[in-house]
Amino acid sequence: MLELFLYFGLLSLLAVGGISSIMPEMQRIVVEQQQWVSAAEFTQLFAVSQAAPGPNVLICSLIGWKLAGLWGALVALAGICVPATALAWWVGGVWERFRDAPWRMLVQRALAPVSIGFVFAGGYVLATPEGLGWGNALVAVTSAALLYATRISPLWVLAGGGVAGWLLFR
Amino acid sequence: MPTPPRSVLEVFLGFLSIGARSFGGVLPWAHRVIVEERQWLARADFLDVLALCQFLPGPNIANMAVVLGRRWFGLPGALAGFLGLMALPFVWVLALAALYADWATQADVRAVIMGIGVAGGGLFLGTALKLGQPLARKPMALAIIAGCFAAVGLLRVSLLVVLPVAVVLALASARQRWL
Repeated sequence: MLELFLYFGLLSLLAVGGISSIMPEMQRIVVEQQQWVSAAEFTQLFAVSQAAPGPNVLICSLIGWKLAGLWGALVALAGICVPATALAWWVGGVWERFRDAPWRMLVQRALAPVSIGFVFAGGYVLATPEGLGWGNALVAVTSAALLYATRISPLWVLAGGGVAGWLLFR
Repeated sequence: MPTPPRSVLEVFLGFLSIGARSFGGVLPWAHRVIVEERQWLARADFLDVLALCQFLPGPNIANMAVVLGRRWFGLPGALAGFLGLMALPFVWVLALAALYADWATQADVRAVIMGIGVAGGGLFLGTALKLGQPLARKPMALAIIAGCFAAVGLLRVSLLVVLPVAVVLALASARQRWL
């Protein structure tokens, strides 16, 4: 359990830009080095975590669950979240304290376009799990347009994506 | 005019409603709930906190729950935001694993999940368009957005490389009042 916490804790602090950036490293540790789960199980757990709502860190709780049941799931989730959120707590405090400082406003203006570029990149990566094709380009552009230009609930957009997926990606 | 939540419970319920619906990615839902439905933050403020959380390691929106929860109600607020965000998805994912683990890799199910994932990617793109709207008339901002997108999305360069380069360029541009 301690090992589980420590490994995920370490990964937590490396995960700049979110969990997707450490997936290869996580697979290396979990499958090859520690042999907590097999490669096939890892793929399966990843698929399950994709099917559930919520942050994709939940793959970690699934790995913990495989190893040690409910407590394993909680410990693994704590491991991947606590170090990073503790850092966020501290940095967030500093960020608030300098709310009206000129340098802080400069940084804010500078980071905005960088951040937006990363959101576009994240969307592109999610929309092209197996490379760019007509099918997924159509689904992704339609979803983006519906979110941007209409007030339709995104749940309908996702449901439509599911149907389109069944038609296009089988 | 955006108004912050009035109680810790409201923070918890807000993030609970983000977690509950966030199929295909959390960010679009966080934006929808925080900026559009509950109007806790103005769009520019949301982008500011998001940017901070993207630069920190770990899950972006969990970081956001902590930073915003702290801003509003200190430690209880941060815990309420974090637990609210995680509670339902945690239960969901374990239930799914217990019931459907064998189905998850089956071709039909995989196709549906992939479709949802692709549509979720589209929701990210739509959210990025909304967030980017105020910058649309600033050529340098558009260039930085395009550059970050190309480096991370198309070329898959590690954020550990892109981030420092992008920040230095952006800070220099902001100093020149190009942003």
